[in-house]
Amino acid sequence: MPTAMRSKGFIAIALLPALLIFLTFVIVPVFWSAYYGFFSWKGFGDATFIGLDNYTEMLKDPVFWRALRNNLILVVSSIIGQVPVALILAILLSKNSFFTRFIRSAVFMPMVLSTVVVGLIWGYIYHPQFGIANYVLELLGLESWTRAWLSDPKVNMLAISIPINWANIGPYMVIFIAALQNISPEIHDAAKIDGSAGWNKLKSITLPMIWGTVVVTIILCISGSLKAFDHVMIMTGGGPARSTELLATYMYNSTFAVYRYGFGSAVSTMIMVISALLIGLNYIITRRKPS
Amino acid sequence: MRPQRKIGLVLLIMTLILAACGGGQSSNQTGSGSSTSEEKVKLTVWHNFAGDDLRAQTVRSFIDQFAAEHPEVTLDAQAIPTDGYRQRLSTVAAANEMPDVFLVYAGSQSAEFHQANLIQPITEILDAHPEWRDSFLDGAFDPYEFEEGQFYSAPIAMSATSMLFYNKALFEQHNVEVPTTWDELMTAINTFNDNGVTPIALGNKAPWVAQSTIIGAIADRVTGTDWFVNAVAQQGAKFTDPEFIEALGYFKQLVDNNAFQEGANSIDNTQAEQYFIQGNAAMMISGAWTLTNLAASATEEQMKDIEVTVVPAIPEGRGEANTITGGAGGGMALSSRTEGKAKELALELIYTMSGPEAQKAIAESNSMVMYDTEIDESKVTPLYYKAFNLVKSSGITPVYDAYLSAEAAEVINNGLQEIMMGGSVEEVAQRLQDAQARSATP
Repeated sequence: MPTAMRSKGFIAIALLPALLIFLTFVIVPVFWSAYYGFFSWKGFGDATFIGLDNYTEMLKDPVFWRALRNNLILVVSSIIGQVPVALILAILLSKNSFFTRFIRSAVFMPMVLSTVVVGLIWGYIYHPQFGIANYVLELLGLESWTRAWLSDPKVNMLAISIPINWANIGPYMVIFIAALQNISPEIHDAAKIDGSAGWNKLKSITLPMIWGTVVVTIILCISGSLKAFDHVMIMTGGGPARSTELLATYMYNSTFAVYRYGFGSAVSTMIMVISALLIGLNYIITRRKPS
Repeated sequence: MRPQRKIGLVLLIMTLILAACGGGQSSNQTGSGSSTSEEKVKLTVWHNFAGDDLRAQTVRSFIDQFAAEHPEVTLDAQAIPTDGYRQRLSTVAAANEMPDVFLVYAGSQSAEFHQANLIQPITEILDAHPEWRDSFLDGAFDPYEFEEGQFYSAPIAMSATSMLFYNKALFEQHNVEVPTTWDELMTAINTFNDNGVTPIALGNKAPWVAQSTIIGAIADRVTGTDWFVNAVAQQGAKFTDPEFIEALGYFKQLVDNNAFQEGANSIDNTQAEQYFIQGNAAMMISGAWTLTNLAASATEEQMKDIEVTVVPAIPEGRGEANTITGGAGGGMALSSRTEGKAKELALELIYTMSGPEAQKAIAESNSMVMYDTEIDESKVTPLYYKAFNLVKSSGITPVYDAYLSAEAAEVINNGLQEIMMGGSVEEVAQRLQDAQARSATP
């Protein structure tokens, strides 16, 4: 017992520096920014305490709700578009041949590209005059489907979610491949003997065996989509007329375009609260499923 | 037990020593800095002339010249790319650690810095060189005169934001007159549309473009400048007044007649310039930056067809025709914390960077200045030479976002995108009025 106690003390001391850094650069700023959320502040000069005014203004602002809706669209589209696709790819590509390695690298490649590059590439794909998206549609005889993908408010969120999914599938696929390789071969052999194969085996053996990984990827998807910023900033900047505003771009635009640091801080606090709620919800839902 | 505790203790001590080392180093640095400051003055200057274009090189050469002439100064010049410049300044402003001399933009940014007491007047250097001070064009100091007779900066740029560029060859090919009135513009737009040519190229992804280049010019022709000044001050005029609704209506008329190419809200200004210079569009309403961009990217063959004029007159309106929206651009400002010998030298640096020689050199690097100077035609591009003289001979009217509050500018920027997407003119006017009223009466 005393040995365990001693090593616990040692662990605590060894963790201290990392903990201090984490506290100073992550936890403290979070509370700091929550604190600024109660002020009317331009980023410099005097700050005036205004209580919850920033929050009530935010909740009354239709743009905030649109940003939240857009974020939820992204969350749903990335859970539907990234996790299953990554899982299917992982199952198909878990064997090690030249061909599968090539496809794996191809799927992973956009992750290595800078998001600015991804944004610019897709900006050109969607270009209303010279874009390849419209060109392909015309070749297929679907002229009526061509449109200005990024400026038509009916489709632009969907158009934006495609490159975001495209760019993010890679790491999930790698995570799934690793999880699949962790399933011990005996289980596969046992499944074979019991006559389980195909969809049946996937549903009853593979998925339950990697369920923990699936939950983690969904959490990563949710938090990733709520933090989404760079692709949208490059492709549309939140426009036109704020139709593709996300919570993060809403915060950025309120802070830096109109010099309202207090309001921006309130928005970022709100983003954190919403993320925590969604991840909590996800935790409750996925915990009950496997049993 | 003992050895483990020892290890823990040793680790803790090592951390402390490391921390102490870090502190020691930084205090060493500041120590050496202050010891040399007796003979050497340290000046920092921040600007956004970071690019490779002619103007940036010109401005940087004047900074180098100052450094060469003043060996007693340790000059720390930082060229920060334009995209991040505003944020960098806001960040140091929040910490009250402004550089000694820095570029400020005319309009809300410099006004905010003045309100926060971050800058001080440079009037004494202007008074020391009266012939320089008096050669600035009318209105050059308007954005920097925060108190009567106290000037906080001298502009080294001029923004001219609404010139009508047109492709002469396309006009001749389709037998269209270059429009001088609104009706002629509408005829031209319809003719080009019938012939499958985009009438006006617009890249409004960054939403300030339509506001800065188009609405200011149209609205001033409809409402007159006085009305706008009153509406900004919220005295006797409101953005919900019929004249402003009418002005927005003219913009909507452009949209309804398909004057702009499809998806104008999702491509940026540079892409629109390319679209125009490649002969896909007959006209483009844009500012002086287009001169610089075209000079850098277009071929001579493409450039020879491009002409420049003013936006057509609106005869029913109250404003004057033959005007261009514009005004003083950015200038160098002086931090309020710079005092004594450093202040003297900082003012000298401002004079070097914005004095008569610098103004002439900047004008000859194909960018507009707010300063009366003669330029050598052979040194600049033909299109710039035309534009330079056009601006000299036209009246200057206010650019909307230079006068509106930051919040109201954001509203009109997004509002114009909304109108382009079929939104209602009245609602946009109402929201603009609300936003401006909030900031005019705090």
